[in-house]
Amino acid sequence: MIFRAVEDADLIPQAARGNVEAYNLLVSRWEKRVYNYLLRITANREDALDLTQDVFLKAYQNLRKLDDASRFAPWLYRIAHNEAYSMFRKRRPETDVDELPPESTGSGITVGGSSVFPIELSLAVAGALERLSAEQREAVVLKIYQGFKFEEMAEILACPVSTVKSRLYTALDLLKAELAPIRARGVS
Amino acid sequence: MSCSPFDLRDYFLRELTNPRQLQVEAHLETCPSCREELDRLRVTQTALFALREEEIPQRIGFVSDKIFEPSPWRRFWAAFWGSGARLGFASAAMLSAALLVSALTRPAPAPLAQTRSTVATAGLSSAEIESRIQAAVQKAALEIEARQEKKTAQLVRDIELRDQAKLHNVVALADAQFDYYRQRYAGANQ
Repeated sequence: MIFRAVEDADLIPQAARGNVEAYNLLVSRWEKRVYNYLLRITANREDALDLTQDVFLKAYQNLRKLDDASRFAPWLYRIAHNEAYSMFRKRRPETDVDELPPESTGSGITVGGSSVFPIELSLAVAGALERLSAEQREAVVLKIYQGFKFEEMAEILACPVSTVKSRLYTALDLLKAELAPIRARGVS
Repeated sequence: MSCSPFDLRDYFLRELTNPRQLQVEAHLETCPSCREELDRLRVTQTALFALREEEIPQRIGFVSDKIFEPSPWRRFWAAFWGSGARLGFASAAMLSAALLVSALTRPAPAPLAQTRSTVATAGLSSAEIESRIQAAVQKAALEIEARQEKKTAQLVRDIELRDQAKLHNVVALADAQFDYYRQRYAGANQ
């Protein structure tokens, strides 16, 4: 008998055939990541939770349309991105979708209780992220926090890789200018 | 401004191929300004990780509800039409069925000659029918005979023509040989 870990690729076909337990297992693997992605681009816990639920419901309804199980992550995040921007559009229909910033939370996204970083640094990071444009922030979230490759980011954001790189590198330059000196001072 | 052979940010984000990654690493050994730039990127990333992932406040779970679940038949139907191969097979089966039904239900063409004959023979005695058949058979036999004669005559003509052509060739060859030997003989005598 051979034991091996159950993978997404095993769960996806089962879930697509209507196996709710398989889908729940799949959700449990991804819900935290999707929630945090949505939290960083909406900067609102309630919205992030509501959107996460919508994302997984929509994903369940459309799972049969996913041809390649290995593309599940970018496919799921594409749904999440669309859901978030659909919400922004509903709330501020007069604004251009590409320029829609998330709602400001005032104090930024709070830091987890178990953080080992000083609170000042966390606030500085939250402030620096808030000052980026919505597109730059999303590029940083997808690359730095979620670890996607450029091609996957292009699929999620439905834009060319060159655009993804441009957004990300501009954001990194801005963040570096703000955060690297602070960190350097902290270290020395 | 970085002097690295490839973009340091690509290197930092692990987006370079392995050989390029190695080239940048070799460059970093000798370039303090690129090392400093890379350090700044690392510091930025470490600072960004100060924002930790949060736990989801409420777990998401889907409950199997018999009311909303499709029936086994509908699940089978959905799975059936969801598969490309099975869809192709179903299309082929439907096409075959359509051809079969069309072949079975199409009315056969009426045998016109037989119908005409039936109409014509209505009200005739068997002797008359017999005599008509005999006449028709004789007529057909004569026609076949005439065709055969014509064909035979054509064949005979063709054979004669072919033989004449052969004969002509043989004569021509003989003439040519005769000329050749005559010239050779004349040359030998001189």
